[in-house]
Amino acid sequence: MTTVAALPAIRDGQPAIEVDRLGVKYNLRLTRRNTLRQTFRNLGNRSAGEQDFWALRDVTFRLVHGESLAIIGPNGAGKSTLLQVLAGIITPTEGSIEVRGQISSLLTLGAGFDQELTGRENVLLAGAFLGIEPEDMKRRLDGIIAFADIGQFIDAPIKTYSSGMRARLGFSIATSVDPDVLLLDEVLATGDQVFRAKSKARVLEIAAAAKAVVLVTHDMSWVTEFCNRALLIEKGHVIAEGDPAEVVALHQQHSDEERAAKAAALARAGVI
Amino acid sequence: MASIRTAVPIFNSSSARPGPIGLVVEAVRDIWSRRRLVWYLVRADLKKKGADSLLGNLWWVLDPLLQMLVYVVLVEVLFQRKQPDYPLFIFAAILPWKWFTSSVGDGITAVTAQDRLIKQVHFPKIVLPTAAAVAGIANFAFGLIPLFALLLLWYPTRLSGYLLLVPVIATVQLVFTLALTFAVSAINVFFRDVGNLSRHVLRLWFYLSPALYGQTTINQLATDHKELFRIMELNPFYTLFTAYRSVIYGAETANNGSVPPMPPDWAALAGLALGSVIFLLIATIFFKRIEPSFAKVL
Repeated sequence: MTTVAALPAIRDGQPAIEVDRLGVKYNLRLTRRNTLRQTFRNLGNRSAGEQDFWALRDVTFRLVHGESLAIIGPNGAGKSTLLQVLAGIITPTEGSIEVRGQISSLLTLGAGFDQELTGRENVLLAGAFLGIEPEDMKRRLDGIIAFADIGQFIDAPIKTYSSGMRARLGFSIATSVDPDVLLLDEVLATGDQVFRAKSKARVLEIAAAAKAVVLVTHDMSWVTEFCNRALLIEKGHVIAEGDPAEVVALHQQHSDEERAAKAAALARAGVI
Repeated sequence: MASIRTAVPIFNSSSARPGPIGLVVEAVRDIWSRRRLVWYLVRADLKKKGADSLLGNLWWVLDPLLQMLVYVVLVEVLFQRKQPDYPLFIFAAILPWKWFTSSVGDGITAVTAQDRLIKQVHFPKIVLPTAAAVAGIANFAFGLIPLFALLLLWYPTRLSGYLLLVPVIATVQLVFTLALTFAVSAINVFFRDVGNLSRHVLRLWFYLSPALYGQTTINQLATDHKELFRIMELNPFYTLFTAYRSVIYGAETANNGSVPPMPPDWAALAGLALGSVIFLLIATIFFKRIEPSFAKVL
């Protein structure tokens, strides 16, 4: 295996992803109420508490083809929301975002599978959801099945699959559709050792083919080894951006501080 | 050398949204460009419905017949109401109603059931209720088999060329069903009460529509309760049931008699068609307008 493609190839001189002062606001009133009763209850205490929550604010970055960007940060920082915005799933509240090229975004692998349908049917269904021509998808079918390595299970309903098989099939679909921009959310930790190695190789291949990769991960060794840029997000804001090693070091320093602060708070509570 | 794409799709996302006409155009384009997805979803739905039971898809044929039997026992035996060829009389109403309730029932959960996928993949959500409405047609199509069996074996005198008008009436029903399915699937994202409420609303709707009774009962109602009759006339299923019954059965008369099949009330059907198209436009705009918030709320 060769090392990372060090030279980001700029196609047409335009970046693959351009994010400018992006902000995503959640209305907690809207997301919390699910029945009429709760709505009426909420009408009563309209003024109580903060109703808006900014999951992301003032996020600006660019990514050219051939780069792989790692998004790191503590839980609840807005990493997954950022991926959802990049995939077009969530429309930004403010700012703008432009993504050039075909996107593949099976973010949580295999979560969207239909349990009753067979693996083969789910591959075609996933392709249809991603907007890929059926003939195109049928052509890729054999490659997808081979890479996922699930043998004759491909014609059994997904409900009979183990979680590892499901994740493998999901990864195989997401990376086989020849995306220009690949979005991955915490997926490199799935599967056994063999498949993990295989999936790493596949992601590197895609990055080397001058395609943009954005991934969310907690696996810091993966970030420093294979990504050429990293973005640290905390509480919806970009804290640092740049060389993976430096950003990872900053992230580790921050989480150490946080842990120390929590331990101190606990100790204080225990003492008093 | 890397392959060169002639047209690289550019995806651009901002908070700006098109106007009402733009939204309708977008919805039509969404459904047309993902027609294969609609087809896959319909097929998956039909497969699931037939897969778990012993008789499988045979239930599509048996179900309306058994339901007809229940109502025949209820009305003819228990309530002692006599009417010529009553089984065919109610079958003409059960058939479209089963399609309608199955489409609306599936439509309510069409968006919410795919919550995980909606949070993972960007696709036009309008294909989900569309698939639910279209899948119901299979319900109707399979029901046509026992209908023709009934006509051929028991009521050959009711066979007529007017049966060819059934698809015309069904088209009007499809437009109305599609509109309602769009609306309920979107509302259910915000208020999950829709599912609980719908069962009772649908049941009441059925009894308020001339399914088990016909024009003579309605005429009686019209003299006793004028307001109720007005509301009834506005009911789309008043027009639809009457139209289906005209071409399949004919009509009952006051002295327990009946007349053979005849053309439907074209003016009423045209009015309903126009109203349904307007309803569909409004429902489409409504759906498209709140579609961007689905991923956040689910």
